[in-house]
Amino acid sequence: MKCRRHSQRQTSVSALCGAAAVIGWLLVAILADLLAPLDPLKSMTPLALPGATGEGGVTFWLGTDLLGRDILSRLIYGTRTVVVLSAVATLSAYVLGVGAGLFAGYVRGFADTALSFLANVMLSFPVLVLYIVVITAIGSSATNVVLAIAFGSAPVIFRVTRALTIDISKRDFVTVAIGLGEARWRILASDILPNAAGPLTADMCLRFGYSAVAVGALGFLGLGPPPPTPDWGSMISDGRGLAIVYPHLIVFPCLAISSLMLAMSLVADGLHQLSLAR
Amino acid sequence: MGRQPPVLRLFSKAVGGACATMLAVSLLVYLTLEFNGADVAAKVLGPFSAPDQRYAWMREHGYLEPLVLRYLRWLANFVAGNWGTSTYYKEDILALVAPRLASSSILAAGALIVIVPFSIVLGVISGVSEGSALDRAVSSAAILATSLPEFASAALLTALLVFWLNWLPGTSTMSTGFSWRELVLPIAVLSLSSAGYIARITRASIIDVMASPFVHTARMKGCSWRRVVLRHALRHALIAPVTLVLLQIPWILSNVVIVEVFFAYKGLGTLLYEASLNSDIRLIEACSMVSVIAVVSTQVLADVIHGRLNPRIAPWADDALRSRA
Amino acid sequence: MVTLQNKDGSPLHPAVNYMCEKMPRREIDRRGFLRTIAWLGVSVSSARAFLELPTEAHAQPVKIGGRLRFACAIQEISDPALAAWTEGANLYRNCLEFLTEVDADNITHPYLAESWKPSPDLTVWEFKLRKGIRWSNGDAFTSEDVRFNVERWTSKNSKSSNRTAFAAISDFETIDTHTFRLHLNRPVASLPEQFYAYTCPILHRTFDDTGANWPKNPLGTGPFTMTDFRVGRHAIFRRREGYWGTPAFLDEIQYIDMGTDLAAQVAALAAGQADVLYRLTPSELDLLAKLPHAKLLEENSAQTLVLRMQVDQKPFDDIRVRRAIVLAADNQRMLSIAYRGMGIPGANHHVAPMHPEYFPVPPLKRDVAQARSLLAEAGYANGLDLTLTLGNTQGKWEQDTAQILQQNVAEAGIRIKLNVLPAAQYWPVWDKAPFALTAWAHRPLAIMTLDLAYRSGAAWNESHFSDAEFDRALDQALATLLPAERSKTMETVERRLQDSAVMVQPYFARNLAAASANVQGHRAHPSQYYRMDRVWLN
Repeated sequence: MKCRRHSQRQTSVSALCGAAAVIGWLLVAILADLLAPLDPLKSMTPLALPGATGEGGVTFWLGTDLLGRDILSRLIYGTRTVVVLSAVATLSAYVLGVGAGLFAGYVRGFADTALSFLANVMLSFPVLVLYIVVITAIGSSATNVVLAIAFGSAPVIFRVTRALTIDISKRDFVTVAIGLGEARWRILASDILPNAAGPLTADMCLRFGYSAVAVGALGFLGLGPPPPTPDWGSMISDGRGLAIVYPHLIVFPCLAISSLMLAMSLVADGLHQLSLAR
Repeated sequence: MGRQPPVLRLFSKAVGGACATMLAVSLLVYLTLEFNGADVAAKVLGPFSAPDQRYAWMREHGYLEPLVLRYLRWLANFVAGNWGTSTYYKEDILALVAPRLASSSILAAGALIVIVPFSIVLGVISGVSEGSALDRAVSSAAILATSLPEFASAALLTALLVFWLNWLPGTSTMSTGFSWRELVLPIAVLSLSSAGYIARITRASIIDVMASPFVHTARMKGCSWRRVVLRHALRHALIAPVTLVLLQIPWILSNVVIVEVFFAYKGLGTLLYEASLNSDIRLIEACSMVSVIAVVSTQVLADVIHGRLNPRIAPWADDALRSRA
Repeated sequence: MVTLQNKDGSPLHPAVNYMCEKMPRREIDRRGFLRTIAWLGVSVSSARAFLELPTEAHAQPVKIGGRLRFACAIQEISDPALAAWTEGANLYRNCLEFLTEVDADNITHPYLAESWKPSPDLTVWEFKLRKGIRWSNGDAFTSEDVRFNVERWTSKNSKSSNRTAFAAISDFETIDTHTFRLHLNRPVASLPEQFYAYTCPILHRTFDDTGANWPKNPLGTGPFTMTDFRVGRHAIFRRREGYWGTPAFLDEIQYIDMGTDLAAQVAALAAGQADVLYRLTPSELDLLAKLPHAKLLEENSAQTLVLRMQVDQKPFDDIRVRRAIVLAADNQRMLSIAYRGMGIPGANHHVAPMHPEYFPVPPLKRDVAQARSLLAEAGYANGLDLTLTLGNTQGKWEQDTAQILQQNVAEAGIRIKLNVLPAAQYWPVWDKAPFALTAWAHRPLAIMTLDLAYRSGAAWNESHFSDAEFDRALDQALATLLPAERSKTMETVERRLQDSAVMVQPYFARNLAAASANVQGHRAHPSQYYRMDRVWLN
């Protein structure tokens, strides 16, 4: 029993660390203009090592890339690309998935069968295969990346929400509400949704992490936003050929994306523990 | 526990669902890629074709007919095994896809062979010794493994093992025939995140079971630690991970694309990627259909086993566990 | 005193004596001399002796045998005359041969043709073919094979770029089984050199009758036979018995498609999975330097990128807009950053200093202030938004160059958005997009490129540039034999192209390749035309 509590405390400590890291990255994304020391699109000295100085006395704290652009500044602005794209994608997926899930889970019947079937169909694709097919059809750009990821994540969220809705609908207080004659949408909004919010929030954090990784993966494959947009995935793809001679080209973007994903996992874990404890 | 449905009924129900899904998938794929016949003609005939040449080609290949008829004809051909000719490779697509599918299956199978023992053993060890330094070490490693995306771990491992230590070859083209050494890095990268994930789930499952009343009863009855673990805890704790392993297959099939592209491994993933870069419509259709068939088959299998084992996990968590899109 | 001789012993062309006089007075350089008299049919060895140049000899004794693995994209090569990529040409180059051969120094040598002689006015060319050449199926090689090919290239229905390149040929006259004459409708001095273009191998006369698909029936006169071919995978060649010339040194060559990732190819070289790499970009140089058993092969080349604007599309129809872009561009910076300085800056007229007919028209001086004022004059005082389409057909350095241009013109208020397409999707639109980046291969003479790309109505005129005076000057240059005189005509050609601000042509990129240290006899070629029969493994 003592072990249990100890590990629970471990989880809350790590969850807090994760939350701090996430907030840190969000701040970096918002305050990018203030934080970045140099212009991320301007070429200066190619392949400078971390700590080297360039023309005009500027210091390249994390070095420069193949085209001479400051990696620190590109990393900071890249946060904006990753955070904005994955946030928009995740939120859109959520709006779509939660809306459809609530509806299907509560109403059941034909609508439920149809929507569940559609979700199954989408989930039959390995995710990256779906992204490649969609982007081949509609072209690659930042907007299309968001569309592809939202489209690909919505079915899962639909499923989770639907199952939660079904589960919660069976509970007493909902039966009472129905008996009292409350309007459907009211029940959904004030009774079911708040109770589903807990597990959904944990899921959302995790999904935000997956979206960030997906943005990176598409950037890596060359299917993401066009150059010269700073993007962690394409920074890794551009630099991997030279990584042995200039490891700084990939080490920092790898650390960045892993830390974001790790932070989101820890936060999701913590929220999951919280909802279980309740 | 409730009555367990007979396997045959489960199986036929699952297969029926799978067929309906496949039909819908084929419609989706066809509509996405071949909605506009003129575009297809332009891609097949190439850059210097004239509008009248394209019109002639469209007439010859039935692209002037209504969409529904075109789709049905394509579907009939697909089911019969006439997948057409690749515009980029100029070869019969079925003959092209089969060996590539085998190659990708080798990677996926290799990954599964590595993932299952590793993750379950590690999960059990850390779950059983919950809170100890060993547990913390394994958990941290697992969570780190899941957080590192495939393209990042591939880049880091290559820089370390190929260029710095010179232990392994940097590409896996198998140009000089089959080579085990060339499989090491791709399988390692593929296994990492799934292994970490399953280890964590196994650990959570073991912890849950170890705290359950009947394990306490067994301990109080005087059963040894080892017997408790092996006899009672494992059997119940492994229900979720077993189905999870099967459900990792869609995840693996997705990541296999990145791993294959990174290591230049000639599998289904690189075939799809090159087909998409070269606008080889028929080939993209074939590759996506094949990967969907693979996913759906494993889902059928998972459903049958799942239904049979009847886990007592909350349904929503089950769904969340099943899906890592 | 060594006298020059024609390859076939016939009397020398009148211009030869004229050039011999100019030589000692340094009015032609040695290279120009060698090239020009090679066109006129003079034997190169007698010319070298005349110039007192040392004869070429192998530094080491040659080792026969072995198998070479060449990493290269394996593309579809059904009809060599329609080839659009040099990689495919390097495959059939092992089996198919050409009338002439142009070496890495741009000097034309006999190949299937033993000798040739132009008429004094350069409109009738007589070629004598080597005797005793047999196809791989035993048939004798005759002028009928050549006739079949030339007529095929120049026919009205031909979709080949050869139709434009050989537009001057009006008639093919067979004299006997090993002699033929070409009649031209205008004088062309460099005709022999053009027969080595990668789209001009000589195919067997039954090619069209047997399905016009070369890999299915790979007949050739060359030193190798093709034993296996799969697009996107590999092509395998074995040395063939019965070849008319010196047998090849290697037993077998395997061309293997290792994908487009060049870093992975360098890794393959390091791991011993490949012996030769087709092409590298400057990004891989640091990686290559770390390998002890690999060597870099480099050669000056006139391959270049043109960021061209279509002069009949808005907003590029206004010359002030084009001039603004060209003045804001910093060609030297594009060279030093995007290609690590490994090349020669371009002056936006597509003629390189290494070309014999080059006339020094220097690059424009960068002037952002003037660019701004020109834009304001043209009505874009608040800046201009443009989209540049590109396909990275030769590598990522294309998009790197485009990104530097983005930065350059941003200072003048022009915002360029990049539309990067996969190579296969770029080709359908390469000559349709109003503002696009195209890579042009090296050609030994600049006028060959100018003829294909900037003449009014030419097949590959992607910028729709049309200038009558330019065309006239180009015709004159094509007909002029002596390099010095041609240069003077070229001044008009170059200036008109530069003044019209048709494109930003930032630099001529050096050609880079790599090979294992034990590969001998393999040299980087500016056009990437690799003959493998003189290569051996140590």
